[in-house]
Amino acid sequence: MSPESIAAVQVALGTEHAAVWSYGLVSAFLAQQAAGVAEGANAHRARRDLTERWLKDNGATPQPPAAAYLPPQPVSDAASALTALVAVENDTCAAWRSVLERTDDQALRKTALEALTTAAVRATRWRKVAGTSPASISMPGVASG
Amino acid sequence: MLLAVAVAPLAVACTTPPAPLPPDPLVELAASARADAALASTVAEVPSAAEVAKNRGEHAKLLQAEIDRERPPVSSSAPVPAAPSTPPTPPDPAAALRAALDTSLRKASDLVPTLPAHRAALVGSVAAGCASLLEVLA
Repeated sequence: MSPESIAAVQVALGTEHAAVWSYGLVSAFLAQQAAGVAEGANAHRARRDLTERWLKDNGATPQPPAAAYLPPQPVSDAASALTALVAVENDTCAAWRSVLERTDDQALRKTALEALTTAAVRATRWRKVAGTSPASISMPGVASG
Repeated sequence: MLLAVAVAPLAVACTTPPAPLPPDPLVELAASARADAALASTVAEVPSAAEVAKNRGEHAKLLQAEIDRERPPVSSSAPVPAAPSTPPTPPDPAAALRAALDTSLRKASDLVPTLPAHRAALVGSVAAGCASLLEVLA
């Protein structure tokens, strides 16, 4: 596996750590959305574990999580909690899209596509819950998308 | 002898016309994007159809730009792919739109593993964009 691919996967792992942390942070503010929050948290935990294993299998040391992550704005209610979830889902989209750009390995491409797609769907779901219109973005993972 | 061996394939190479390039796999994705946008435009009664039309229209533009970048159209009169004619309104417009997006999502996803890297990222975002639209319609 090329160093470039490994580095891109490490960045993606970082966004998965941040997502796991953020889902934990927001859960208190989204009691109405408990099922969706649990689903997102589980998905990111599973993705994080898979990604750590992939890095180890490819001879790299997975980057550890930070002690805490700074949401784009303070989380104090349901609306700001949803904003934080959309932000972490967008971050994971961008990181996994970047993996697609940096590997020719077909198995890693499939993994990255699945991570990008599922994060984009969750971001859309949270925008719907928040009443944001439009709820989707046309090119998930693209900075200007 | 060595010389003869070396020259023979060259002679063949000179007389054989270049094989036509295989079709660009993105052409089909761009066509699907245009068709989805056209379908969404005809079913305005479906909530969020306009969002589908707009996003799939953007996909079509981005995919066509990549197709033209790799193989620039031969002349300025090269045919711009015609906008699909207005499709008839299907009996269950919302289901038809979902089915079309589902097919487009699958086509894009299937291509991602084998494309050159920069195209994999482009098509990956298109796939994720289709999946997002399916969530909008859900």
